[in-house]
Amino acid sequence: MTIFLEIDHVEKVFDLPNGGSYVALKNIELKIKKGEFISLIGHSGCGKSTLLNTIAGLDVASKGGVILEGREVTEPSPERMVVFQNYSLLPWLTVRQNIALAVNRVLRDKPKGERRGIIEHHLDMVGLRPAADKRPGELSGGMKQRVAIARALAIRPKVLLLDEPFGALDALTRGGLQEKLMQICEESQVTAVMVTHDVDEALLLSDRIVMLTNGPESHIGQILEVPIPRPRERMEVVNHPSYYGLRNEIINFLNQQKRDKKRKAQRLVAGSVAHLGLEKTTLNIGFLPVTDAAPLVVAQERGFFDKHGLEVNLIRESNWGAIASGIADKRLDAAQMAAAMPLWMTCGIGNQPSIPVITAMVLSRNGNAITLSKGLYDQGVRSLGDLKTAIDQTPDRVITLGVVNQASMHNLLLRYWLASGGIDPDLDVKLVVVPPPEMTAALASGKIDGYCAGEPWNSRAIAEGLGFVIANDLDIWPGHPEKVLGVREDWANQYPETHIALLKALMEACEYCDDRRRRPEILELLSQPQYVGVAPAQISPGFTTPYNRGNGEAPQMLNRYHQFHYDQTNCPGRVEGLWILTQLARWGIIPFPKNWIEILERVRRVDLYGAASRELGWPDAEPDRKPFQLFDRMVFNPDDPVGYLQRLTIHRDIRIEEVFLDDPVSVNG
Amino acid sequence: MTAINRRASMPGFLPYQMRKTFQKNSKNFIRPLIALIVLMVIWQILCPPGSKGLPGPMQVIADTWNPYIINPFFDNGGTDKGLALQIFASLQRVAIGFSLSTVVGITLGIVIGINKAVYEAVDPIFQVLRTIPPLAWLPISLAAFQQSNPSAIFVIFITAVWPIIINTTVGVQQLPQDYRNVAKVLQLSGFEYFVNIVFPATIPYIFTGLRIGIGLSWLAIVAAEMLVGGVGIGFFIWDAYNNSLISQIIVALVYVGVVGLLLDRLVSYIASMCVPAERK
Repeated sequence: MTIFLEIDHVEKVFDLPNGGSYVALKNIELKIKKGEFISLIGHSGCGKSTLLNTIAGLDVASKGGVILEGREVTEPSPERMVVFQNYSLLPWLTVRQNIALAVNRVLRDKPKGERRGIIEHHLDMVGLRPAADKRPGELSGGMKQRVAIARALAIRPKVLLLDEPFGALDALTRGGLQEKLMQICEESQVTAVMVTHDVDEALLLSDRIVMLTNGPESHIGQILEVPIPRPRERMEVVNHPSYYGLRNEIINFLNQQKRDKKRKAQRLVAGSVAHLGLEKTTLNIGFLPVTDAAPLVVAQERGFFDKHGLEVNLIRESNWGAIASGIADKRLDAAQMAAAMPLWMTCGIGNQPSIPVITAMVLSRNGNAITLSKGLYDQGVRSLGDLKTAIDQTPDRVITLGVVNQASMHNLLLRYWLASGGIDPDLDVKLVVVPPPEMTAALASGKIDGYCAGEPWNSRAIAEGLGFVIANDLDIWPGHPEKVLGVREDWANQYPETHIALLKALMEACEYCDDRRRRPEILELLSQPQYVGVAPAQISPGFTTPYNRGNGEAPQMLNRYHQFHYDQTNCPGRVEGLWILTQLARWGIIPFPKNWIEILERVRRVDLYGAASRELGWPDAEPDRKPFQLFDRMVFNPDDPVGYLQRLTIHRDIRIEEVFLDDPVSVNG
Repeated sequence: MTAINRRASMPGFLPYQMRKTFQKNSKNFIRPLIALIVLMVIWQILCPPGSKGLPGPMQVIADTWNPYIINPFFDNGGTDKGLALQIFASLQRVAIGFSLSTVVGITLGIVIGINKAVYEAVDPIFQVLRTIPPLAWLPISLAAFQQSNPSAIFVIFITAVWPIIINTTVGVQQLPQDYRNVAKVLQLSGFEYFVNIVFPATIPYIFTGLRIGIGLSWLAIVAAEMLVGGVGIGFFIWDAYNNSLISQIIVALVYVGVVGLLLDRLVSYIASMCVPAERK
């Protein structure tokens, strides 16, 4: 795909009169091909027009920029002609003069006769010959809009920018003009970006529909491809099999945004926004004895909590269930959580009511491995294929594998890994939940034949000669989110400053943890009994020393095996959140939320991550929302999660349901 | 066709037509006329013939019938001229002064309107200067020019220039963002921007300034001429007062009033020619 126009991580911040600032657009990344017709859709105030003006060069992005054919847009230019919302014709000029003003200016190198020809041609094209000598004041709205379009097209722009071009017109006129515009765009291969409110208009005209979320920090929520072939006819479009599906998706998106808007407005009324410092200074934070608890341990022991005015009790829990219940019954203020837990708790575990839990930072990435027993190794199992063969050969023996929690990445990654090898994780093997510290004991006793867990519990099994690592997550999905910081949504709303302080302390601790020179000292801290309580030698593989898989291969240095800071580790990206949602739904753990954008916006709080980052003076951008793939090369497209789910062959019954969340404000009140 | 024929053949067509016109304009004609007559009568009653002080209207007409009313164009040399000639002399000064202030006012107004820094620099100064009464400038201008005629013209100029500057400035500042965006997107050069966008968009404001300016000029010229002398309606009034010719003053005042009205209407007529109907 050759990129014609790129909107490159555009951010727009407006300064407010009270000295604050308003982030209107956040991290907008969009690549547009030549000849493509793009619609921007979203509720009013979401920054659509600001984005359009940025492309036009009438507005300057605060960060990022717009690139047209490899050159950055720095000022308005006729190559990016705008059709303004209110036509912007000059009332003292006639229709012909209005067009002529543009043509004579922009195409001034052409001979006079040719320019006149262009003017007359475009007058005819929009059917305004009879009105050529009238002034705009004597024209109807539809005619004025036709003049504006003729003026824009006459100067042969590379990109046509339309700001709600048909908003003020009656339905009949609008219909006619839409068809005219479509026809003209197809004939002259114009690349166009249009802002609109009208769902049907967007579907009729666009190749892609970009849906923007509400401000502040408006960003791209979803991009819809409109696969209807061109040239299009209105009736054909309406009768196209995909039409109503697409239409429903847009309406669904807009409805989610409407609810979001209402919720934000309520919060604004309910919450007194007073910056009086920390609302709460003594916090109970839950963690599990695993290597990737390092940021919490470091923040405690190296004074990062102190620095940000927090007094923290780190509470060691033995399993993820205790963490979940600790957060649910407010015993814990915050907790280290498995990456999927906030989404899982928010959508409602089993039949329990939903407990909105948010995460504003990822504490660690990677650090998991799948360990299989010595027995399987002795049977010759070396790879996923071998495991499949072993299972097929011994149908009477059920292989049991341990996972630490249903909502942990271990479970999701193990299931994904098994399923991609043709092993149904529910039918061909048995998965049981075992708390991480008990894994090795369970493996030793033969209760389980393997497990997927975080470190040090894999290295420990290897050190004790109980098993070998068949795959670690660098083999499956390098850089996946592993542990996150979870807090209740109402807690975050009640103690916003405390929450930000906590984030800052942990982000600094995460940076500390990724400094190789500090790793030995962190290793000592982790091995203390009140934290992981395992000998340093068992924690060190992959953390400070080469990683031993226990399969006879030479230990390997894995520099990214524990990742705490680099490569936007801490950003709770929404795309990876969406992947987690698809997997939770794939295995029937939760239904797939029809309003997934709303769920992700609420749970994965990139805005709070950004706020904390900015206060630290660090970059605050979310990774690009773009398709990615795991080791099996199955492409996950964040704009089509349901399609992805349907392409995965092994899955349980997938339910797609609207997940309504209790309003946190009314719960509080 | 038949309608016209029938109407033409109708007996008493002309009186009908006249009556029609008369009825249509009765509001414009009759009511002011009645008011005028009533005023005259009151005046006549208050100032009966033979009384001292102001003459009554009958007296005024009797005193000035010849030559001031019936012959506005007589010229006995010196300052003894008909009222039309006096007015004409005053109008000449106004024409020169006002033309100057139009050119200077519009130019300055546009410069100030386009340039925010300049606006912020000079606006307070202008706000002070514009409140100075016209006649207060006269001694300064007499001192500067040493001659009466240029001084009077300067007073006209300085009186009319402020409203023109201020209105033009506002017009430029109020230039709708839409038009500016069009100019930016089309990358109009400075000159093209001025000719095609700024100037046409500012015209209604300029004419507002001109109307106020011409009114003020006419106000100022009478006072200025009273002081500087020479031919002109102002000095005519002053001269008549010095000779206790009250009736002449009253006739001159009528002339001044009517001419002032005509000037105002003239400017607004030109404005209506220049500004398209839909933009007013």
